[in-house]
Parts: sequence; C-alpha cells; structure tokens
Amino acid sequence: MNATTRESLLAWLDGLSKSMTLIAPQAVEEQICYRPIAESSEIVLDFGRTDLPAKEYFLPSTHVLFSIERGDKGVSIEEPSLERERVVFGLRPCDARALRVLDALFLEEEPVDPYYAERREKTTLIGLACREMSPECFCTSLGLAPDDASDVDLMLTEVDGGYAVQVVTEKGRVLLGDLIMEEWEGTLPQVTGREELPILEAEAWPQHFNHAYWAHLADRCLSCRLCTYLCPTCRCFDVRDYETPNRDIERVCAWDSCLAEGYRRIAGGHDPRPTKMERLRNRFYCKFCYYPKDFGPIACVGCGRCIAKCPVNVDIAEVLESVAAL
Amino acid sequence: MIAEIRAKARELLENGQVRCFIGYEEGTRGRVRPAFVYEPQDVDRLIWDERCTHNLAVYLHQFQHPLKRGEEPPRVGILVKPCDSRSLNVLLHEKQIERERLYVIGLTCNGVRVNGQPQERCQRCSERVPLVYNLVMGDVPKTIGREDYADVARLERMSPAERLAFWTQEFDRCIRCYACRQACPACYCFECVAEQLDPPWMGIAMDLSQKQFFHVMRAYHLAGRCSGCGACEEACPMEIPLSLLNRKIAKEVEALFEYRAGQDVETPPPLATFKKEEELPL
Repeated sequence: MNATTRESLLAWLDGLSKSMTLIAPQAVEEQICYRPIAESSEIVLDFGRTDLPAKEYFLPSTHVLFSIERGDKGVSIEEPSLERERVVFGLRPCDARALRVLDALFLEEEPVDPYYAERREKTTLIGLACREMSPECFCTSLGLAPDDASDVDLMLTEVDGGYAVQVVTEKGRVLLGDLIMEEWEGTLPQVTGREELPILEAEAWPQHFNHAYWAHLADRCLSCRLCTYLCPTCRCFDVRDYETPNRDIERVCAWDSCLAEGYRRIAGGHDPRPTKMERLRNRFYCKFCYYPKDFGPIACVGCGRCIAKCPVNVDIAEVLESVAAL
Repeated sequence: MIAEIRAKARELLENGQVRCFIGYEEGTRGRVRPAFVYEPQDVDRLIWDERCTHNLAVYLHQFQHPLKRGEEPPRVGILVKPCDSRSLNVLLHEKQIERERLYVIGLTCNGVRVNGQPQERCQRCSERVPLVYNLVMGDVPKTIGREDYADVARLERMSPAERLAFWTQEFDRCIRCYACRQACPACYCFECVAEQLDPPWMGIAMDLSQKQFFHVMRAYHLAGRCSGCGACEEACPMEIPLSLLNRKIAKEVEALFEYRAGQDVETPPPLATFKKEEELPL
C-alpha cells in the first residue's frame, strides 16, 4: 500500500481545487459541516462525525429544476446543471454508504433521477476512515465498518506520519494523478467495533404496526423535522413553482419531511397520517421495512446523528432494541 | 424530593385525579427526557435533577383533545420549573388550557445544566419559585439572579451592518427543521405561517431570505409571550442563538409595558389588550 504525508495531501487537494469544486469538512462556528473549500487550510482533518451529512451535495436542500424566462421572443426554459466536476473529501464510511442507499432508489429504479445522477456522476468520493466510533454510532450493526472502503473511490486512513491511501475505483485512480506517495508497509489500525443491535427483518415489522409502543414513544416526540434533515438517507422532497421578482418562473425542489404535519395531506384535505404517532412510526417503518422491501437496502447507516441531536431523546438504537423485544 | 414527587404523582393517578402525569425520566446515554406516566406503578420512572431542562408545558397541547372519542379531554399532572410556570401562565391567559384540568407541581429551581454546564439564562433568572402551581416543592433557593439584558445590550451596540452580518451568519446555518417552533409551548398555531399554503407566505426554498423571514416572524409572534425558557435554543441542532432574538423583544416589551411574559395570573398580556387612550412612547 502507499501512504502520503499530511502536507502532500493538502498540496494535492489545493491542486485539485483549481480544476474541480472541492467539498470538505469545515468548521462553521461550533459545527463541522461539508462546505466548498477555497484553500486546503480551511479543511478540518480531526473530527468525529460532521454535524450534517454530505447528502446535501447529492440531494440539495434546495435546487431549481428549471426556470422559465420571459424574453423578447417569447419564453425560454433553462435547466441549470453542474458546471464543474466535484470532489468530496473526508467522507465517513457511513455517509458514503448512505449514497449507495440513495442510489437504490434514484439510480437503480426507473425512472432514474437525472439531477441526482448528474451529481453522482460528476463527483469523486475520497473517504476518511474513522479512528473510533462516536458514542452514538452503530454502523457495525448495519453491516458496515468505521474503516469500510467499499463505497468510496479513494480511501484514506490516518497512520503514523500521514495517511495510507487505498485506491478503490478507476475514478479514484484517475483522480490520484500527481499525489506524492511512498511505499508503506504497516498494517491499518483496527477500530474497535460495538455490540450489534438486534434489527428485525423487514418481513417481521408489520406484525408490530398496531402495538401500543408507538403511541408511548410518540408522546414525547415534538414532531419537528430535525431527525429527517440530519439523516443521510432521508430523501423526501417537495416541488413547487414560484414567480421570481423579475417575473420569471422557477420550479423549486426542496427537502420535505414525513414527520411534518400536513406532509401526507392530499387534495380535499384528507391526511392519512394525521397524528404524530403515525408520522413517527412511519419514520422507522420506512427505514427498516418499506425501503428494504421496495428498493433493497435498509435506509439507515448507523451514523447516530439523530440520536445525538434529538431534543427529546428519541433514540433509534433504543427503538430497534425495543421493537425486537415486542 | 423525588420521593415526594413520585408519591404525589402516584396519589393523583390512583385517585383518578389525572390520567397522565408529565415529568422527567432517565433517557439513554445519560440524558434526561420527558416522561408520560399513565399507571401508578410506573411513577418510579420519574426523576428530578438539574439535567431536567425541557419545558413540559409544550406537551399540554396534545392533551386538549379526548384520548378516546366521546370522552372529556383528560386531566393531567405536570412538573414545572419557574420559567415553565410562566409559559403555563401565557397558555392560561390565551385560553389554551383549562386550569381545572391541570394539577401543577411547581419545583423551586437553582438553575439547570446542559451537558453539565450551568445555563446563562439561569444565572440571570430572578424567579426561583414557580408562579402557578397546586403544590410547590423544594427548598427556597439561596441565590437569585438579576436580569440585566447584558447579552442584548452587546448586540445593540453593534452597527446595523454588523448586526445584519451577525444574524446572516447565524441564520444561514438554519436547516428549517422547525425544532425551535415545535419545542416552544407558545407556538401552537394549527397552521404556521411557515407552512400555510393559501396564501403561501413562505416558499419551500431553504435560502437565507426564507430562514430570516421565519425566525424574525416567529420572534415577533412571541412578543410578550416568550418566557425565556430556552427550549428553542436547546432544541436547535445548528446552535443558533435564538433566545437573543426573543430576549431583545422581551426587553422592549418590558420597557414599553412593564410586563414580562406570564408574570402573574391576573395581568392580561399587553398585546392582547387594547386601550383606546393608549399612547406608546415610540
């Protein structure tokens, strides 16, 4: 295997950023978020888990699908597209796996989502193995590992004096270009795993649908959208048309959340999931029952963000244990 | 004191005086969370310590309706800290809850801690004893804080451009998850302006202007109604200092009307009152 020094790595990233958009972990006030980076000095290399996942670069919180502009000769339709190739640096294995989970719906099912496809196509993923599992992490219960390299193009692992570099895909090999590396003969550090959570098979979930557990769990739920917006695999969106100040029209696509009141409201005002119990229950059924049945993978990667940030301690790990014991 | 709380909760549930008792319980990973106790034998789940930060008054809205069709709405018991008790007063003034359906255990408070850290708002807090309760528990606290709005004054000393830059940076991080609104006892509209479809006041885009509009709108809607419990700020996953905004408005309301949200049971809220002869020193 090859390894590179921190200095060489940063110099290489600076080089990449001249021709591509470089997205990397950055300190934003007290938080660590993936942000477009101008210089490698802005990159945070020592972090546990970013506060927000990299999902927003593939399924943006808001994007314009197309705009209709009024001109002298009538109207014209403009479709924005990505101008530059992109690199996401410092992706954790869970966030990389989350993209595979999204692929199952957006790329592997017809119709393919062209917006998502373009973003995936034009982006190279550089993974950074976790040195340890954060207190809320449970990726090992979902079949991945803190040093899992299977979902990125290049994988970096922090070792003495720098980073070991694993080339995973052809895309990664091409990106590598002029990175200065040396032969490295150490063994990659092992990250201690964690006791696995019991996760029911998708087929076993429907029998618990009407259990009183859900109502008791939902008592304290605030019905906000926090868990879905921090989740790397939650992917619901809404589409609406707006008039811009100069009287053009924009079709806007933005995140939506199944936990929001009114999310399922349909024409005529009927809402099939009117209570917060039904909405909260849906979040777990979507992840562990509906999504695996419809598209294959479980829609959870064990990143633990919802556990870390839920203001009322709705803890998905506890929910999985409780449901398995019902 | 926890023994007394549990004993009272057990008594209330056993006598059928309340259907549910809302308190705090040990959560996962050393956290504390709101607890809903329906059976007398479950009262031992209840705890009370300085980690009990949540303002439980937010949960009263969900007990406004009958649990089963044809029943009366349930009577509930609830624990309140002094700041929460002011929220309760706001809701009583606004006729959102019936006092008779509530059994309130007021807890004297020396301040709460988030992740072991004492809260600034608690150090400023001048109310260590709840303002509305059926039963009050706890020792009379030793120290009482003083509200000086020093944090707001810091903001006021900025130039408008600096202040705009400050808030732009803060609101830019907002992800529109609405955890602030959902954690707030005073935010109980059936349909929030933010989600109203007809007319669509706000767009769905997560851009700065929508975020600013939402937060400023929410702050104005809380004028004279925000008890300063800090629930919004604590719920925010992006650590936006929301209470600064609310406190600026609370300061103005206090200066104009000599009124603090939920200060007592008698005084009607200034923005729900109209006097023909009223003149504001604007």
